[in-house]
Amino acid sequence: MAREILQGIAVSAGVSIGKAFFTNRRRRSVSFEIIPPGAADSEVARLEQAASDVRDDLARARDNVPAELRDHAAIINSHMMICQDPKLIRAASQRIRDHHICAEWALDQAVEAIAAAFSAIEDPYIRERVQDVRAVAERIQTRLVGRHAEPMRPPDERIVLMAHDLTPADAMGLPTVKIMSFATAEGGKTSHTGILARSLQIPAVVGVSALEESVADGDLVIVDALRGLILVDPDEAELADYTDLKYQFENYQKSIRRQSTLPAETLDGYRIDVQANIELVEEVPQVLDGGGDGVGLYRTEYAFLNRRTSPTEEELYDEYSQLAGLLSPRRVVFRTLDVGADKMLSEQSQLEEPNPALGLRAIRFCLRHQDVFRRQLRAILRASAHGSASLLFPMISGLHELRQAKHILNEVRAELDAAGLPYDPDMPVGIMVELPSAVLISEALAQEVDFFSIGTNDLIQYSLGIDRGNKHVSYLYQPLHPAIVRSIKYVVDSAHRMGISVCVCGEVASDPYCLPILLGMQIDAISIAPQAIPGIKHILRRTNMEECKELLRDVLSASTVSTINRMVKETIYNRFPEELTFFSSMLDQDD
Amino acid sequence: MQEPIEETQEGLTVTVCVANDQGLHARPAARLAQEAQKFGAELFLAMDGMEVDAKSILDILSLAAAKGTRLTLRGVGADARHALEHLSALFRNRFREE
Repeated sequence: MAREILQGIAVSAGVSIGKAFFTNRRRRSVSFEIIPPGAADSEVARLEQAASDVRDDLARARDNVPAELRDHAAIINSHMMICQDPKLIRAASQRIRDHHICAEWALDQAVEAIAAAFSAIEDPYIRERVQDVRAVAERIQTRLVGRHAEPMRPPDERIVLMAHDLTPADAMGLPTVKIMSFATAEGGKTSHTGILARSLQIPAVVGVSALEESVADGDLVIVDALRGLILVDPDEAELADYTDLKYQFENYQKSIRRQSTLPAETLDGYRIDVQANIELVEEVPQVLDGGGDGVGLYRTEYAFLNRRTSPTEEELYDEYSQLAGLLSPRRVVFRTLDVGADKMLSEQSQLEEPNPALGLRAIRFCLRHQDVFRRQLRAILRASAHGSASLLFPMISGLHELRQAKHILNEVRAELDAAGLPYDPDMPVGIMVELPSAVLISEALAQEVDFFSIGTNDLIQYSLGIDRGNKHVSYLYQPLHPAIVRSIKYVVDSAHRMGISVCVCGEVASDPYCLPILLGMQIDAISIAPQAIPGIKHILRRTNMEECKELLRDVLSASTVSTINRMVKETIYNRFPEELTFFSSMLDQDD
Repeated sequence: MQEPIEETQEGLTVTVCVANDQGLHARPAARLAQEAQKFGAELFLAMDGMEVDAKSILDILSLAAAKGTRLTLRGVGADARHALEHLSALFRNRFREE
């Protein structure tokens, strides 16, 4: 048995075995000391020296940024500017002189003063820049305490990079070819470390709270970024097992990549489209390389975030037409603005909504702010002349909303006709089915649109009445709850009766245990995260439609979610026992 | 369409406009402060009656100036005119690296 097995969150899949190397550890608590009279000058000098050292470290890190991470280098540049900002160091120096406190304490106070000033800023992007100030101050504190006095030594062999928290500068100060994997004590599913690791395609586990206490530099560790484990000082048997697993995983990755451009077709010839959910044009190459059949959900919110004024029609048109052109002849589905709840536009953030998830969001927001909506519709319509575009309205709760939205769309079409601007007159128009009300009237809705897209993430939350982000009730987030399975089935049947197609987007579609049930319903397409496409296509190509239908029948006859989960897990696991070790499932949480 | 540099009692001033899409976010703010620090003159940036230090990235960020915002640059000191010319050119070029 390993000396210790630590649990964290896997954010970039894979396995690696190597020696641990810490770039930073949690600093000790700040010292709060009063300095003797006359010591202020030397204390200020100590602070300035520390800041200047950190600036030099950052400059070195920036100059060594490898070409593939150039985009991240701008972050280091702003950290350098923060490091020499008069608001930080001069303000802290003033505090040393005025209050006769030590440099650490003064710096801490200066940071808190900046944090207080920034917390009043309305723009959420600017407000969050306080994180950068804290990251820089943390480096200066480390210098002040005198640890890591020597410059970060580049390792002479490939290492497992460990850190309390990994800032971009930390990660980029090291040659990336030497990093086998990451592990950090801080961080969650969406942290920067995960993004970085996925773009470098190396395994990463974050949120390993006991990491610093349990691992020393040079310890042999296994990073299991399939299950989110760190094995410290493993024994011979574990080493043998993991060497084997690593080999299998790498082979598996290669084989699914090789086969990813084959059609998404079951063994008995049932074919669906496997599309991608994306929000940036930059993600298109990953979609195409992974064998995606276009983009089933383009989230259009990004261009509207972090700014005070809405983007112009021309800006949106540039973005949308570029996307449509790049993907052509594959299709791209533009979902109109889905702001509210978690993603506030600054115009909207002034609304005091006690319950934003049930508030003025998505299509409701657009129908209220028609200037923004019309501008977006014009841009999407104009982009439709450059490729195969479709339009998708989110959060439709009833026929009236749909008719209002379509009425505005027709007015915008007439404007474009009058202006002589080209667009695709046959651009398909669909709706997101993600509210229980839309499920129940899906047959009526299907008569007025060209396709449905079932947003399972929201449908589960609204149907089961739970907020997934709320840890007290997240155990109730059950994708295979009988009510959810029946809802999806009902929507698919309504759509097919009316002769329109159905796409399922949401995590359910990329869960290898849930996918066969959706297939059994004879859905037409799924839309999933781009990195999940090769693996899901591989599973799909070895699935049998008749078995999926049989499994669906069994699931529909069960009345509790635990029965369903047990039944599904056994059936699917027996089908793909080896492959499934490389997947995580939403069903795992209730074990 | 460069705005003229004007002489006032408080030093030289020039009006600039934020032309880049995302406004004065971290990257342009860093670049502005970096360039401003190269001059000996005291340099300030004003918006809606609030004036901040143009050599401080944190001050610049705190304006949260969006695209289209008009700001006043003010400089006091020997190389103020040169500084204002240089910084207003940065705004016109949307802070692109040369």
